[in-house]
Amino acid sequence: MVEKVRTVKDVCCPFCGTLCDDLEIDVDIKTDLVVEVRNGCQIGTKKYFSSNPSDHRYNKPLIKENGEHKEVSWDEALDKAADILVNAQRPLLYGFSSTECEAQSKGVILAEMLNALLDNTASVCHGPSLLAIQDVGASLATLGEIKNRADTIIFWGSNPVHAHPRHLSRYSDFIRGYFRTDGRNDRYIIVVDPRNTHTAQIADKYIQINPSEDYELIQAIRAVLRGSELDVKEVSGVSIDDIKELVEKLKSSNFGVVFFGMGLTQTLAHHRNIDTAIRLVTELNDYTKFILIPMRGHYNVAGANQVFTWNTGYAYSIDFSRGYPRYNPGEFSSVDLLMRDEVDAALIVASDPGSNFPAAAVKNLFKHPLIAIEPHKTPTSAFADVVLPAAIAGIECEGTAYRMDIVPLRLRKVKDAPGECLSDKEILERLIEKVKEKLGE
Amino acid sequence: MAEIKLKIKKKLDFPLEADSITPDNFAGKTVAGIKKLPLYYATKQVTIGDFFDVTGKSTDLADTKIIIDGDVSNVKRIGENMTGGEIVINSAVGMHVGNHMSGGKITVNGNADDWAGAMLQGGELEITGDAGHYVGSAYRGYWQGMKNGTIKVKGKVGVESMLWAKSSKPSNMWPTLYCGSANAFLGIHNHGGTIVVEGDVDRCAGADQAWGSIVIKGKVSRLLPSYKKVGEVKEVQLPNGEVIKGKFIEYSGDHTITKETKGRLYLAA
Amino acid sequence: MSLNNLILLTGRTISQGVALEGGKASRENVRAAGICTFDADDFKKLDCLVGTPVKVITDYGEVVVYSTITEEGPHPGIIFIPMGPWANQLVNPSSQACGTPQYKGMKSKVEVVKNGKVLGAIELIGRLKEA
Repeated sequence: MVEKVRTVKDVCCPFCGTLCDDLEIDVDIKTDLVVEVRNGCQIGTKKYFSSNPSDHRYNKPLIKENGEHKEVSWDEALDKAADILVNAQRPLLYGFSSTECEAQSKGVILAEMLNALLDNTASVCHGPSLLAIQDVGASLATLGEIKNRADTIIFWGSNPVHAHPRHLSRYSDFIRGYFRTDGRNDRYIIVVDPRNTHTAQIADKYIQINPSEDYELIQAIRAVLRGSELDVKEVSGVSIDDIKELVEKLKSSNFGVVFFGMGLTQTLAHHRNIDTAIRLVTELNDYTKFILIPMRGHYNVAGANQVFTWNTGYAYSIDFSRGYPRYNPGEFSSVDLLMRDEVDAALIVASDPGSNFPAAAVKNLFKHPLIAIEPHKTPTSAFADVVLPAAIAGIECEGTAYRMDIVPLRLRKVKDAPGECLSDKEILERLIEKVKEKLGE
Repeated sequence: MAEIKLKIKKKLDFPLEADSITPDNFAGKTVAGIKKLPLYYATKQVTIGDFFDVTGKSTDLADTKIIIDGDVSNVKRIGENMTGGEIVINSAVGMHVGNHMSGGKITVNGNADDWAGAMLQGGELEITGDAGHYVGSAYRGYWQGMKNGTIKVKGKVGVESMLWAKSSKPSNMWPTLYCGSANAFLGIHNHGGTIVVEGDVDRCAGADQAWGSIVIKGKVSRLLPSYKKVGEVKEVQLPNGEVIKGKFIEYSGDHTITKETKGRLYLAA
Repeated sequence: MSLNNLILLTGRTISQGVALEGGKASRENVRAAGICTFDADDFKKLDCLVGTPVKVITDYGEVVVYSTITEEGPHPGIIFIPMGPWANQLVNPSSQACGTPQYKGMKSKVEVVKNGKVLGAIELIGRLKEA
């Protein structure tokens, strides 16, 4: 029998921070198209299918001429990109979250050569979590520990049914573990959210909280945990009796975990929400075992933080302008820089600030030369002056990615990239060579 | 007082980092020597002479007064690490003004950007307008910030002012902030700092305070639930010796840190 | 009809995630992310059919999106727009010096605009590029 497809097993999905490592991809042998994806969630599955050639997938390098993208050779495109970067006074290299670690480290090299600003998407996502960890530490563990041990699971400002679709079934809820042999029935799920999300709807306890008042609620929980009788009857829309009941539940757990997301990092107080959540988890360890894990959105933003930290000492929002790395979110973070119009050229890698930055920041981003290393047509690449078409890491090239619990996993190459696409790593390597030439090194 | 006048002569498209503008660096130098001191503009090293007109004369540190004119709202790090002398800035000023300063005085006749007086070790910083976020605060990753000295802001201070402030009774060091009003998280992680606010304060004042004194003569938008009423007082005795007269409700907090706490927040009655 | 004193939240939905992988320039993306989700009782006050375009306004901008009723309620007083180009016309770009803007919790109001046009992602973001 003639094989029509080849199957690649144990594939790591390159979408969200859950980094599921059990996907199976069928690729048609003749056409090299993805024809089936097993075990992936809807989003991961779609990502594999959308790697097939289409009208929104770039095949060749492009340069904008008279408002239209024109196909050019790699040499011409890289030359123009290098010119833009070398002639800029304050260039920004941003993104890096949806690519593998070796590409990320090339990004660091390039930023240092250019004395540029270097940032990744943690800046608008879990940056606050990193800020909090730098202030008050963190009690962490791997997802395997959760699967095997956790009997109390809290999702605070996080909606995994939508954002990390297989998280609940692989690690945190609907799965049997070594000490949780009855799976779901051995676990108590608590969701804290202003909306009765789909995750809340399958929880054992849903706590509806007033939007943007998470800090106050966690302070109340901590004070009650310390044994204080509070003066108030209600905090952030939650009654004192409910708070006391929650504290007793947490204290009597075997092994608890707090998973938290944008509900804490993107609301007012930002990193201070995480600061107090971390302190609560630390303080619960006086009674039992408790840990916390940030629900990282992209599959390798944790990797970007790791790689940047090994190389520069800092995880994101880094400035090389004085010849050595300096770190200060708020001063060197991309959105703030753009809001002050302090950047005069940008290289966007493996991310889409056009879609995901506030409109006023995008407006300033578009005022200056823009280079996009990107496989697909997006609101960033559509307006870039140079588009460098990339192979998709985890589908068309291999590499390392870090899961939300900082476990490194190897991404597989499932098929070849279409057209003239190159991997992010190779594009950055070539760009580094061009920049070296132009700087006369 | 020997005065050195600096007037900025270029429009800035990018921030200018001016950590060399301190009385310590100017003392005993000629105008020509001062003009050669380095500044940083975008990714280039430049000189004071490239960006400022310099006149006047300097003398020894204690008597050196630097007066800065022109729009320096995008000039960062003025006064960094200074130990004496005086700086007067006649415009809004950029980030990090007076950071790590341990002596002398800086007056800003305008608004100050974020991190004004960060990591202050002593001396005096006065801002006649508003100040940005992180006034008198610790820098990222430091668990002790302002340790001594005084910051006075006539207008409003931004979020997280006096973050990780640390006093010392044995050394008689009482870092103090006086301000007109304050944004959220005033005095967060306070370890002995003193704060007096003439007007209103946003949410979460005194968050995670271990000990210290926060006096608010206006209103808070929402007091933390982990603060508890102790009683009423007719005046507040501050640890630096000052006495604030007036009726205040005394609150203890932050009870997230310890069950019993010496931390206090006073709210006008 | 209009509604005031609402709080706007933005965030991930699985449909928006699928759509963005399927092509950000697609109609699917507009239907997944160019929408505003209302609490069922709040929506009745707007007195219009599901799918009617509405203009959402915050201190930071305004945008026209399709209206829909939440499956994640009740949440009276809260509206939800999936993350993406439409939501980001409305969010607060100020990070209060921490680096991360405020993407959730903006005060907002909503007006029904029956003949309003909901733009595609590329066209919407294209308007930010000055000529």
